[in-house]
Amino acid sequence: METMIEANELSKSFHIARRRPGLLGGLRSVVDPQVRVVEAVQALSLRIERGEMIGLIGPNGAGKSTTIKMLTGILMPSAGLVRVAGLDPQRQRRELAGRIGVVFGQRSQLWWDLPLIDSLRLLRHLYRVPEERHEANLEHLREMLDLSEFIDTPVRQLSLGQRMRGDLTAALLHDPELLYLDEPTIGLDVVAKARIRAFLRTINAEQGVTILLTTHDMDDIEMLCKRMLIVDHGRKLYDGTIDDIRLRFGGKRTLIAECGPADLVSLPRDEQGLPTLPALPAGVCLAKVEAPRIWLSFERDAIPAHELVAWFGARYTLRDVTFQEPEIEDVIRRIYEEGLLLSD
Amino acid sequence: MSKSTALNNILSDARLYRRLIAMQIRSQLQYKANVLVDIVTYFCVTGLEFLTTLLYFVPFPTLLGWHVGEVALLAAVTSFSFGLAELFGAGLDVFEEIIRRGEFDRVLLRPVHALILVASGEFRLRRLGRLTQGVLGFVFALILLHGIRMTMLKLLALLLGIASGSLIFISILLLGATMCFWTVQTTELTNILYYGGREMLSYPISIYNQAIQSILLFVFPLAFGTYLPTCYLLERPLPLGLPTWVAFLSPAVALAFAGVAVWMWGFGVHHYESTGS
Repeated sequence: METMIEANELSKSFHIARRRPGLLGGLRSVVDPQVRVVEAVQALSLRIERGEMIGLIGPNGAGKSTTIKMLTGILMPSAGLVRVAGLDPQRQRRELAGRIGVVFGQRSQLWWDLPLIDSLRLLRHLYRVPEERHEANLEHLREMLDLSEFIDTPVRQLSLGQRMRGDLTAALLHDPELLYLDEPTIGLDVVAKARIRAFLRTINAEQGVTILLTTHDMDDIEMLCKRMLIVDHGRKLYDGTIDDIRLRFGGKRTLIAECGPADLVSLPRDEQGLPTLPALPAGVCLAKVEAPRIWLSFERDAIPAHELVAWFGARYTLRDVTFQEPEIEDVIRRIYEEGLLLSD
Repeated sequence: MSKSTALNNILSDARLYRRLIAMQIRSQLQYKANVLVDIVTYFCVTGLEFLTTLLYFVPFPTLLGWHVGEVALLAAVTSFSFGLAELFGAGLDVFEEIIRRGEFDRVLLRPVHALILVASGEFRLRRLGRLTQGVLGFVFALILLHGIRMTMLKLLALLLGIASGSLIFISILLLGATMCFWTVQTTELTNILYYGGREMLSYPISIYNQAIQSILLFVFPLAFGTYLPTCYLLERPLPLGLPTWVAFLSPAVALAFAGVAVWMWGFGVHHYESTGS
């Protein structure tokens, strides 16, 4: 497979100069700056193949934006090498810009006071797209994203979901090979989110657009990305699949069993008066009882789920059983909070 | 071949700039009454500014040999030239704001020269107020100067001077904008040259000492904009004893100054550090 993004030991440190007030202060800051150094990204290496859809996550200030800005050529890395679509983003920024699309969920690129169609038309000239191709792309996207009902409405009157559909169209009209999405579903309702996700899956699968998205919504990642990248404090913490991260750091699964009405009434109680289950297998503990339901949490490798069901079924009337996987949000939170360094 | 591609690029950039301005105009015309009030207000403000310049002549008949009509002409032409700069380069004046709001990132993500997008970003129709004032001031000055001899050559010098003056004003804004890349607050410095320059050039610069005249001619060549051509038009000697033909150097000086400014801007873009997120 062809490599779309390659970054090697990428670092960026900011020298933040404190401004002194006034004209003389301004001049003094030129000759004698007070500088504070912030390491935003440290030795980050990364390789993304053409056609991948990958999620970049990390808490605020983790270095996600800085990384993307270096990948697009907006920022000059302090150290390290980057190549995107075979180009050097810093030296060939404008050429690269013609081959990538960018959507900022919180900041529209559309002209606020004009009908959506005006912005979309102007983009043809901004990206120097031949008219026929532009028309064909616009027609295609218009259908896929159902733009017709609001394409003549001024952007300021669009709902957030409609605006996002407009922004996605704007980012894709010039046939980019690579799409950066910065929080594409922020603030959207459930229906709008589902629609955006389905659309992203389609253009990734059918047109082979490589997609790199940053988000705080783990559902985006779970539904869209096979692979994800976790960064914090400017370092890469994890690079792999979601299933893998759940397996390794997922913590406990929960079995929720619904029993017969008489079963859980006469459980023995411990010293604090809390109900207990006698002779629980090792690694399983009783989390909660709310007759007729009971919650048992257990380590993934302590006991296979079917054995636990069998063990429980042998002792109680089992009416129904469901499993709760650890929330990926909890996993990620644990990684941030406990600083589990996962890169190995 | 490469020459024709370069020319094509310039032409297509120019077309793009025109389209961006058209978008700005269409945006502003969504609020027509607003635009009209803005233009009229700005016309009044700049008209008042013009009349204040001429207040000197209430108690005194001449200023170092210049009559009221001559100073009116100088002020009107300078204001018009400055007005063009404001109209077409205003995005540079608020560049610090554009950086702070993180909008410059979006500019850098476009496959066109960043200056086209930045300069066209703040095109405001209300600036037409100053241009109207400039034209009326010019007519007013011609009435005061009745009997002035106009030639084709003078007209040419004047038109070139107005265009060159705008370019020099815009270049000063561009230099100011460039300094924003080093996160140094320099608005005061730019304002002295930009607004101060306009004020100074509305009077005969012989009222200042030689050092200031030299700065206005050879460091920040604002005087090459409208001042020298206006002197030529009024058949007055050029400052510092410069020969008359120097008045026709305005376009060359303006282009050279703009070239330096654009080069420094390009250097600055590479030092751009963006905002946090």
